[in-house]
Amino acid sequence: MRYLLKTFWSALGSRFLPPLVLGFFFLAYVGIAFFTDETLIALMGITRSNIFLAALLALIPLNALVRLARETVRQLRRRQALNGAPVRALPELFDESVELRGAEIPVELEGRLHAAGYRTRRVRGSLAAWRGFGLFPARLLFLAATCFLFSGILASTTVKAVARGMVIEGGPFPCPSGPPARVERITLSPSTGSILARRLTIEVAPEEPGGRRRSFQLYPPSQYGGAFVYPRYLGIGLLVRFAAPDLPQGFEDQAALNLYPPGKEGSVAVPGSPYRLDFSVAVPPEGEDRYGSYVSEHKTLQVKLLKGKDLLFSGALPEGGALVRDGYRIELPEVKRLVVTDFVRDYGVYCVWAALALYLAAALLYLPLRICWPRREMLFRAGPDSPAAYSRAEGRSAGHAGVFHDALDLLETRATEPAGQVQQ
Amino acid sequence: MPALKLIPQLLAWTALAVVLLRGFPGRRYLTAGAAGAGFAAGVAGVLVLSRSNPALPYGAVRSLLGGSFLLLWGIAVAVLYRSTGSSRPALPAGVPAARPWSALAVSFLFALTAGAVCACRLPAAGADALPVAAPLLLVLAGLALGAAALACDRLVPASLRVGFPALWAALVALLLFSSSFMIRLDLFSPLSMKVMKGTHDFVHQFMESILIPDHLFMRPTIWGYIGLLFNKEVGFWGGMVIWFTPVLLLLLANRFEQLPKVSHIRQGAQRRKLLAAAMQARNLRLVLPALTLAVFAAAAYQSQFPTVEYWDPKPLPVSANAAGEIFIPKKGEVDLEDGKLHKYLFKQGDREARFFVLMTPAGKLTVDLDACAICKPDGYGQAEGTVICYYCKTLIPLETVGMPGGCNPVPVPFTVKEDGVHLDATPLLNGWSQTVQATGRTKEGGK
Repeated sequence: MRYLLKTFWSALGSRFLPPLVLGFFFLAYVGIAFFTDETLIALMGITRSNIFLAALLALIPLNALVRLARETVRQLRRRQALNGAPVRALPELFDESVELRGAEIPVELEGRLHAAGYRTRRVRGSLAAWRGFGLFPARLLFLAATCFLFSGILASTTVKAVARGMVIEGGPFPCPSGPPARVERITLSPSTGSILARRLTIEVAPEEPGGRRRSFQLYPPSQYGGAFVYPRYLGIGLLVRFAAPDLPQGFEDQAALNLYPPGKEGSVAVPGSPYRLDFSVAVPPEGEDRYGSYVSEHKTLQVKLLKGKDLLFSGALPEGGALVRDGYRIELPEVKRLVVTDFVRDYGVYCVWAALALYLAAALLYLPLRICWPRREMLFRAGPDSPAAYSRAEGRSAGHAGVFHDALDLLETRATEPAGQVQQ
Repeated sequence: MPALKLIPQLLAWTALAVVLLRGFPGRRYLTAGAAGAGFAAGVAGVLVLSRSNPALPYGAVRSLLGGSFLLLWGIAVAVLYRSTGSSRPALPAGVPAARPWSALAVSFLFALTAGAVCACRLPAAGADALPVAAPLLLVLAGLALGAAALACDRLVPASLRVGFPALWAALVALLLFSSSFMIRLDLFSPLSMKVMKGTHDFVHQFMESILIPDHLFMRPTIWGYIGLLFNKEVGFWGGMVIWFTPVLLLLLANRFEQLPKVSHIRQGAQRRKLLAAAMQARNLRLVLPALTLAVFAAAAYQSQFPTVEYWDPKPLPVSANAAGEIFIPKKGEVDLEDGKLHKYLFKQGDREARFFVLMTPAGKLTVDLDACAICKPDGYGQAEGTVICYYCKTLIPLETVGMPGGCNPVPVPFTVKEDGVHLDATPLLNGWSQTVQATGRTKEGGK
């Protein structure tokens, strides 16, 4: 049992695990690509519904955590060793280890190491030498970022819930969670930011006493009732009335149409009849803002009346106006701004954001340290109990190996010299 | 003339045999025997499969090529991981002797694929009545070239040994080079297309997952940069990355390979001598991967600039009668039943639609838009039992033209009568508008 646990622990922290898991998912992706064009979505769907695949994906953040713990322990032990503390299994902490013959570390070696640019510390018969800065903090950030990223992906893939709603001015705020509220105003204005060209604001007033007013913008998205409010597209909400010679009782309906960018058509079918009303927003002249009509207080829509496949007539219809022709009457008493909005309940987003920030920090830390000041360390332990020398380099290892070899040569020479000669 | 077309494949086969013999120097005769048998089996396999279904050998060979390329990726990643590990060799790294079964299996499988690729290049491959003489001659030529490779191998210095990862990379590169001359076996173009679609999917999902607003809220410059990821050039460059990375990983692994431990040696000269020998051996192991890189480049070049000429006729103008029906006679200016793609252009006012009529190998006429539901409507050309989407270079076997989905041409409703093909103008125009509108949105980078 203990052997099994040890093997499991070792496998869980193995550096081979993430590429194996990713390789498996890549192969699954390739396999699915033979059957569908929506490969990624299909793979995400399968992972969501298959506990085995979800568990497999969970191995990556677990692996990062285990490695983070192991590397932290190694780092602490190495620091203890360099501080002269007794540490077991020293060779595991370094790249190289060599047995020494001498019982003492000559003072001369310290001078040589200083001359080579190393800082030294002598404690209880051991001599530690080092230069540069360790990559451990960058490594820590990298592993933490990997853990966050794949935890986020796992959370998003398995528990994410998206509900799409039409946020219409004056209408109820359609978030499936949270206290009831009403959409007071939707505004679209130019933005001075360098990334977003427009600023969209959805102002929401509470319907219950004691509630607070909320204002939602594009980025970063705010939450309402535990769900992110993620505006996707712009549209128009309208109240339409229609009467025809063969439909004297008339028809009235409220419709939410996704009509932007201008030119895109949205349809309202008249139930129980062959009639259909196609609405669109006129394409503005070249050079004008394409979303000017959305901002405008007085909206005019293009409307086409179809009977079956036949176009009966078309024309421009302003808000509050009517289009009357050949016994047909189309009225638009109300035209409201609309935002097609996703209400996303996904806690993986936080993890993914955190991971991106951590990866950036890790890269910013790693590159200068690795290129300019890589960590190089040596430890010489003399004394009756297995004297040995240890070496490790995170970069510029050839030069470091040369210094280490020279130091070993010096120790060997001093160890084999007659005692009198050594004292001189 | 058909024999001349086989020259690249036969040259690749000879090089493959030499590499195999270098890879298993202790098992030369076993390797040579397995390779010869594999080559003959590959040719015979294509013969047998093509009799049951002409498209089957192509699918089988492409699967073998794709599988070996995926395995190369796995091997390259494993080698890189091993070389960056903390363990350091106590002695200079050498090339271990291969086991007989691995020499036998690798030689047979790669030679089988090489033989199959050569057989697919035979002019009558896929036809019902494949003449026996051509494959027989091909097998004899293959065996003769294999024997020549055996003789050449004696001339190569014994110090030029090949490790298993480099051997696998070279063999895969030679097979991919060999197959890049046939559009139905080429892997690079479909890979580029898949990368393009995969990148599109990934970027879309990524942006949605971190709740980035849609393009209508973005500055055009910023969206322009994001839109670069939706271009087909992304497919090409992404394909290049996937294509070359395994060999680059092997080169990188060689660079990261740790030198042997020499700290226990107290003579500086001896240490330096050992390190120099290790470095020399390491540099020598770079030769084959570097050559392999060149072969991969040649295969990608051949895939991007194929010598194949596509049948792409100029669209003929057609008109509809008063009832809105378009009629195309079976035997008129063109013969609709000749198995070739025939393109037409229908215009009505300011609207137009481009479509084609084709007789499939099953003997059924099909009418399709000259556009698919995914790509920009650059249209299709015809070659070697397939039609190709000019935009994404996807090959559609003629057998599947007329079926909807993926990059297949969008089918159009029609009826076939004794005299010819009849189709309704309205669904044709609507279908074209919807398809172009949809793919236009994709082209703009919309999600």
